[in-house]
Amino acid sequence: MEKLKQHPMVKKIGFNRIVLCGVLILMYALFSAANKNFAGLPRILSALNYAYFLGFLSLGVTFVIATGGIDFSIGPVMFCSALISGFCLTSYGVPMGLSLILSILVGLLFGVFNGYLVAYCSVPPFIVSMASMNIAKGLASVFTKTQTVSWPQSSAEGGWYRSLIKMGNIPVGLIIFLVFAVLCFILLNHTRAGRYILCLGSNQEAVRLSGVNVKKWKMLAYVICGTLVGIAAIFFVAAYTTVQPGYGDQYNNEAIAGCVMGGTSMAGGLASIGGTVIGVFIIALLQEGILALGLPKDYQQVITGIIVIAAVYADVAARRRKN
Amino acid sequence: MGDVILTMKGIDKSFPGVHALDHVDFEVRRGEVHALMGENGAGKSTLMKVLTGIYTKDSGTITYEGKEVSFHNTREAQDAGIVIVHQELNMVGHLTVAQNIYIGREFKKGIRIDDKKMNEEAAKLFERLHIHIDPAETMSSLTVGKQQMCEIAKAISRDAKVIIFDEPSAALTEAEIEELFKIIRDLREQQVGIVYISHRMDEIKVITDRVTVMRDGAYVGTLITKDCTKEDIINMMVGRVIYEDPKACSAVAPDAPVVLKVEHLNAGRMVQDVSFELHKGEILGFSGLMGAGRTETARAIFGADPKESGDIYINGKKVEINSPQDAVRNGIGYLSEDRKQFGIVVQKTVAENSTMANLENFMRGLFIHKEKEAEVAQKYVDSLATKTPSVEQLVVNLSGGNQQKVVIAKWLVKDCGILIFDEPTRGIDVGAKNEIYKLMNRLAEEGKSIIMISSEMTEILRMSDRVLVMCEGKKTGELDIQEATQETIMTLATREISI
Repeated sequence: MEKLKQHPMVKKIGFNRIVLCGVLILMYALFSAANKNFAGLPRILSALNYAYFLGFLSLGVTFVIATGGIDFSIGPVMFCSALISGFCLTSYGVPMGLSLILSILVGLLFGVFNGYLVAYCSVPPFIVSMASMNIAKGLASVFTKTQTVSWPQSSAEGGWYRSLIKMGNIPVGLIIFLVFAVLCFILLNHTRAGRYILCLGSNQEAVRLSGVNVKKWKMLAYVICGTLVGIAAIFFVAAYTTVQPGYGDQYNNEAIAGCVMGGTSMAGGLASIGGTVIGVFIIALLQEGILALGLPKDYQQVITGIIVIAAVYADVAARRRKN
Repeated sequence: MGDVILTMKGIDKSFPGVHALDHVDFEVRRGEVHALMGENGAGKSTLMKVLTGIYTKDSGTITYEGKEVSFHNTREAQDAGIVIVHQELNMVGHLTVAQNIYIGREFKKGIRIDDKKMNEEAAKLFERLHIHIDPAETMSSLTVGKQQMCEIAKAISRDAKVIIFDEPSAALTEAEIEELFKIIRDLREQQVGIVYISHRMDEIKVITDRVTVMRDGAYVGTLITKDCTKEDIINMMVGRVIYEDPKACSAVAPDAPVVLKVEHLNAGRMVQDVSFELHKGEILGFSGLMGAGRTETARAIFGADPKESGDIYINGKKVEINSPQDAVRNGIGYLSEDRKQFGIVVQKTVAENSTMANLENFMRGLFIHKEKEAEVAQKYVDSLATKTPSVEQLVVNLSGGNQQKVVIAKWLVKDCGILIFDEPTRGIDVGAKNEIYKLMNRLAEEGKSIIMISSEMTEILRMSDRVLVMCEGKKTGELDIQEATQETIMTLATREISI
């Protein structure tokens, strides 16, 4: 086992990620064995629908967690984006293209708001994101007068946005998501922004004393997160079309679970985009499996809760062993 | 010297990839001060951590007061009478001195904590140890030296039979060290067994009875201190002789241009109206007691802390420095006394740390040019003789001296002309210390200008071309190296203190 861990190939991919892939395959096998209708394309496509929006949330929060921060507003902000832009689309006749841009813009603005408070005003991320979670929910309710917003169906006018997920038999959503994952990987590992985000997550004071503008880069992590949350909103409505005000927080836990499961450390400084992607697929498959087994959806929440604790505990334990 | 109270025999301990302790023997008698020496990474601290239950040993026996023991945590060791005074301070800053000393075993009145009683007990303890600290003072308001004294008082307050001092003097001034030695001699009288870990050769000769030397995790030998010379011990540690002579005269020409001029700098209580000039190619030593305001002055110049007033000129031009960014842009690099907290990002690689201050010059379009980064990092690993398997190694795995070299590399990559070294050799072993000295001399010869803050008198005298002395936030004098002696510096360093 130790030998296997030291193998250069295993080291490059990461032992943890290989295990996660195994878990993903095992889960699929177990669900298929438990329910013979599970195996097959429809279920996979349905799980993927869930994975897309969750994936964007999870990618986004990975950047924030890398700085050693946290964002509990991602789920509600995603809903807020989808509601505000959807309401503009349906009630004010804003064209589809513009609505999609608006959705991203709302997410981005929340990112700017959170990031500015955390980086420049030194308000703890926990407090900032808890507050902006409520602001997002409230704002969306006020804007839509607490009405559910239904985005157009595929056949309706402007329904083209749904082909962002599926065009005929081509899973466009999967392609877009993976492209974004690769972009995020490059951003995190091959640019100055990513380098500084990871370093300041590990030791902010040392980075500051190297003459780096840490506030700027820290804020940027939240802006990246917010932008990806805005994109997540598009993929949410493209999959499910209806959004209801006052919800969204259930996705916080799932997105954070996907992220920390993949090897991103809650203590900051260490992040894995590849791990986040696999983590998201596991969460998505899990919720599909629970549905397929006919269990109440609440189990999903229990299990993701446990996953978050287990993943964070594993991280803490690994750190303690190293010391 | 009394009978043997503690024997460690054949202690073996491995970590993944490192054989940290290789069948080490060690013993302590009642009423002796036993030095444990060796370069960093020799295994001294690991051995003591095995003793106090922080690490579990792989094999070997520990006999304490005639019985074989095996502690599972420091608490068990403390209860048995073995306490360790750590190199790093383990204090809760916002509690009072007394609350810190009695933490975990507070005096109680019913269910309430009896602060009054704790203050009284702490005051009695301080009186016995001749320490002048108010027990009701908040810990964070004390200087590092005083905090260290509290840590020692805390260890002593547990009625210990064996006390381990892990580099207790690293943060202390000469006067405080004298105080510490008084305390240690008292304890020796009371038949306490004392283990004294230190890199400072002079102290070892003064305070210890026996010396045990370790090298690369193995036991080398034990000597009676009064029968051996400094060189004997050093040879056992490193197998080579190192001389520490003061600098004879300044290596800087009197007409060397002024690169940095600081005028009337003020920043709080610790920096009051400080003015000085730094010449090209000069090593300017900043001497003074702990808490004299030297680090605060450096941080204010570097923009790490806000300053209230004062002008800074670089190469004759007035500059505004309000943040480390401004300082770095103007070619100033600061090497903190606390590398782990302020100097390096330990979880990142040597390469990543080396380019930290100058990443914008390692870009290919939007992307980091990692090959160029590795190449330059490797260049500095070679020229500074940093011991690391590769530039991809995480800095956390390097020893203190090599971590320091990575920080130096960071500022050299940025091509800073002015370098502020704050306690450059604190916690660094003798061999690596010498290398850092050579390196600083080389940098000065190459035309870099260096401010060196140091609490070690020998270091100041050996390295500086000129010495600036501070006391309680004020500059009390400047000495050419010819006129600088321990005595002249000490006189200036204590000028403001009224006893």
